[in-house]
Amino acid sequence: MTRGYFAVLTLLHLALRVRSAPICTFGARCHVPTLADVFERVIQQSSRMHSISSDLHAEFEQDSYPSRKQAGKWKCHTHDILAPGDKKNAQSLGREELTQVILELLGAWMDPLLQLHQSMRQQQEEDQGPHSSNVALEMSDVIQELRAGVLKMADKMKLLGVLSGNTVAPAPPEGALHLSASNKRGAASPVDHNELLHCLRRDSDKVKNYLRILQCSMLPGLEC
Amino acid sequence: MRNILEWTCLLLLVATPRTNSHSPPEKPTLTSCRSPEKETFTCWWQPGSDGGLPTTYALYYRKENTDAVYECPDYFTAGENSCFFNKNDTSIWVNYNITVVATNRLGSTFSDPVDIDVVYIVQPNSPENVSLTVMEDKGWPFLRVAWEPPPKADTRSGWITLVYEIRIRLEGENEWVIHVAGQQKLFNIFSLRSGGLYLVQVRCKPDHGFWSEWSSPSHIRFPDYFHREKSTWIVITVFCAFMVLTISWLLRMNGHRSLKHYLLPPVPGPKIKGFNQQLLKNGKSEDVFSALVVSDFPPMSSPNYEDLLVEYLEVYVPDEQEVKSKELHGGCFKSESSTSDSDSGRGSCDSHTLLMDKCGPSNGNDDHPMGPEDQVGGRDWENGLDAKEDMSGLDVGRVKTWPSVFSPLPTSASSLLNQPISRELTKHHCLSESMFCTQGVLGPEFSLCSAQLAIPQLIESRSDFNIHKLYVEKDRVTEDTSAILQPFVPQERDYSKVRRVGSGNMLLLQRVLERGPDACEEKSNSAGTNVKTPSVCLHSAIQGQKHIVLATSGYVDTTAMGLMPTY
Repeated sequence: MTRGYFAVLTLLHLALRVRSAPICTFGARCHVPTLADVFERVIQQSSRMHSISSDLHAEFEQDSYPSRKQAGKWKCHTHDILAPGDKKNAQSLGREELTQVILELLGAWMDPLLQLHQSMRQQQEEDQGPHSSNVALEMSDVIQELRAGVLKMADKMKLLGVLSGNTVAPAPPEGALHLSASNKRGAASPVDHNELLHCLRRDSDKVKNYLRILQCSMLPGLEC
Repeated sequence: MRNILEWTCLLLLVATPRTNSHSPPEKPTLTSCRSPEKETFTCWWQPGSDGGLPTTYALYYRKENTDAVYECPDYFTAGENSCFFNKNDTSIWVNYNITVVATNRLGSTFSDPVDIDVVYIVQPNSPENVSLTVMEDKGWPFLRVAWEPPPKADTRSGWITLVYEIRIRLEGENEWVIHVAGQQKLFNIFSLRSGGLYLVQVRCKPDHGFWSEWSSPSHIRFPDYFHREKSTWIVITVFCAFMVLTISWLLRMNGHRSLKHYLLPPVPGPKIKGFNQQLLKNGKSEDVFSALVVSDFPPMSSPNYEDLLVEYLEVYVPDEQEVKSKELHGGCFKSESSTSDSDSGRGSCDSHTLLMDKCGPSNGNDDHPMGPEDQVGGRDWENGLDAKEDMSGLDVGRVKTWPSVFSPLPTSASSLLNQPISRELTKHHCLSESMFCTQGVLGPEFSLCSAQLAIPQLIESRSDFNIHKLYVEKDRVTEDTSAILQPFVPQERDYSKVRRVGSGNMLLLQRVLERGPDACEEKSNSAGTNVKTPSVCLHSAIQGQKHIVLATSGYVDTTAMGLMPTY
């Protein structure tokens, strides 16, 4: 369990360092990043997010009891978001909608991750295990970063005219959490963690894929 | 007996036709599900034993969070014991719960369910159209491998992202070299063997999924190219060999000795020009002395200063000292030279005393006033030098012999040699000389105190009352002419010591005064030569010195009082 977390920690540190610094402070000639650069960075971050969530999920899956896996009666809290589930649907969605979906997804995870962090910390205090809850906290930071990056990307796209200006960043849905009621402060079951991490992994993959579709539709090149 | 029974039983068992023990089918197993492009997928199962009855298999699946159970839409496309899900039935990021049922007359058996998410079971087909081209980069050839993604995988829209890998090997070898190409569709391979036949294969993988199969091998023969680097080395080697041969040939032609001497010059032993050392070995002093007399002094033509060793002579002595001086010089020459060393700290006086000891009882050499003979000799000497100097009208007051342990004596000075040597004189000389040596003021030339000395010029400074004796050394190392002038100071004489000969033939004299220490002063020469400010005021144990700069072209008459012991 510790191994994955330490690996995740390093990954997160890397992710956090991608935080954009003010580059044109003294009026010097700035390098304004192109859309391609922004895409590149955003996709990198989403890759990181996905790999971290995969690791987290793998770690938790080892610890949780196996019967849970078979039930499959849980729903991710983001299933309400109309994320296209196949290529046809994804391509039929316009760029704006796709961007919107991405932002919604990212926004939907901000709070749950904090809660996850809290519950993990509590669990950790009980178990007196290693500090794995920090990973969840940093994961939420990563997602916030990614969300900000996508917003920046959207702004850039609007500027370039490839995106119509109707996209509004949705507020993170409040209470739209289908986590079990027992997930309040106090009782925290590892099962919930497992579900959550499973959903997180999936959603991060969706985000990554949608971003890739956007990139290839905007900037067709050698890489697509 | 028992064996026969066992065998019989076994035979019966085998031979008896079995009654049909029908049973429900055994549990089938889902072996794998794969999606080639993340749009469709196929699942395969392995049937168990059919229980002796015709058995049918059915696949059922349930999507995540729904209770509806569906059956496999297509059992045939993918072959036997398979189920193919087409695009309409495939949903990504959805959990499928799949089960296979084997049914026969007697019953049905369910396999273990399998949960899959299509995203994680993607295994694309191999890349296609692998093309190999030999290209050149600044004369160096390399291989460019290009390929295309598998046709069904839609990388263009970004739906699926593939990473590629290439492997290459020489025909006949077993080891593959793997290159990771990332997401690009072409790759350059360098450093391949010229003239080799290579096999290349490519494969791909989605970000989370399985590697495809390797593409079918492509062959290419790498062209032969001229190894420029090797040719340069060949040229260099040939050249070096040629040089070595030339040098060795030259060595042989010129004689072994000369080159060896050129490379490792022998350390010069002491050598007297025109002196046959065999004479010393013979031990006859007359022969030695006659050999010591050199006929080419004073130098009429331009002398080689390095070879010309001149000593300054002060001659006092009566005739009886003559022999002793001869002996002193002759017999001890060899030993002197043999005891000479590079220790500059020790003056020649040390070696001189050594010399005296080795030479046997030294006689007390008394001071003797110089006879007119000496004066004549001195004058001759002076005359000889007049070619160099424009001094005139100066008389030689006195000439004193100096223990000339270092040099062959000039002709005119040979007569001086015959003069006896005052022991005190020599002592004085020694002292002063050792003083000089130990002072080390003038630097490296003092190391030559006991070694060979070259005196390019003899400078005689005179006054009406005294003879100024100068003793000039030439610094072999720096080629500067330094004059170390050792004013021999008899009691009522005034001598100047020439400290240094500067550039432009300027003499820097030191004047010794009896009275207290004086600052360094300039004093112009009576001959009216240039005066040069001494840059260094030499303060030493000698008190009351003055510096006088004189032109070397003239004789200097100075008077200097100084007691030798004060040195």
